[in-house]
Amino acid sequence: MTDVAHKTFVIERELPASPKHAFRFWSDQELKRAWNDCHPDWITLEDSFDFRVGGIEAKRWRMPDGSELAFRADYFDIVAGERIIYGFEMSHGGKRISASLATIQLLPEAGQTRMRFTEQLAFLGTAEAMAARITGTETGFDRLMDILARETASVH
Amino acid sequence: MIEAHQLDRVFTALADAGRRGMVERLSMGPATVKQLAEPQGMRLPSALKHLKVLEDGGIVASRKVGRTRTYTIEPTALSGIDDWVRQRQAAMNQAFDRLVQAMKDFPEEGVND
Repeated sequence: MTDVAHKTFVIERELPASPKHAFRFWSDQELKRAWNDCHPDWITLEDSFDFRVGGIEAKRWRMPDGSELAFRADYFDIVAGERIIYGFEMSHGGKRISASLATIQLLPEAGQTRMRFTEQLAFLGTAEAMAARITGTETGFDRLMDILARETASVH
Repeated sequence: MIEAHQLDRVFTALADAGRRGMVERLSMGPATVKQLAEPQGMRLPSALKHLKVLEDGGIVASRKVGRTRTYTIEPTALSGIDDWVRQRQAAMNQAFDRLVQAMKDFPEEGVND
């Protein structure tokens, strides 16, 4: 049985330049590579980048364990220096893990940029895979209280 | 970040000792309404009401096979998805650390000293 679980998370960051310059680190393939590629031990099988509304970014890697990881994004909305909205999916070993909508907002703030990244995701992992994670030595209840404690601590 | 209304539902669902007992029992494996009601000293209609609260809270799921309804703990509500989302959030945060560094390495022309 496969479940779909939906989650939204937001990350905000202060970026040390104007929104116009910050935007280039999303729109320019070389500049995006400078921060987006982080796994030197992964072999790149595909790397295409077509940054325009209706364009597609597609990446595939061979990971050290031999399995294949794929990322594919469709750009839906682009306002230079302000906003990017794209949908993307990730697959592992030919199985889709998740599909998401990502919104990047670049807001001017005191000569710099406040970047707000919002991801709304549908997680497609199997119930079995997720269930395996809670059938440890702890009871589900202990884990639940742990999670609630953590969540409560992180909700200000 | 868990959504506030979701947190409300989880807290409501677990605000009752009887319901917490049911969750504890289900963490050991699936059970029928009868198996869940008895240890709590609940009658079946009352047990069903409590189970509905837990189900609405996304903490348990139920399935009817023949005439028997079996309840299971909902792993996505408690663990898997949260861990997984945390991993993705952590990965994005690391990427954005590198973004900040890359922006320092490739500064905006004309505004630099």
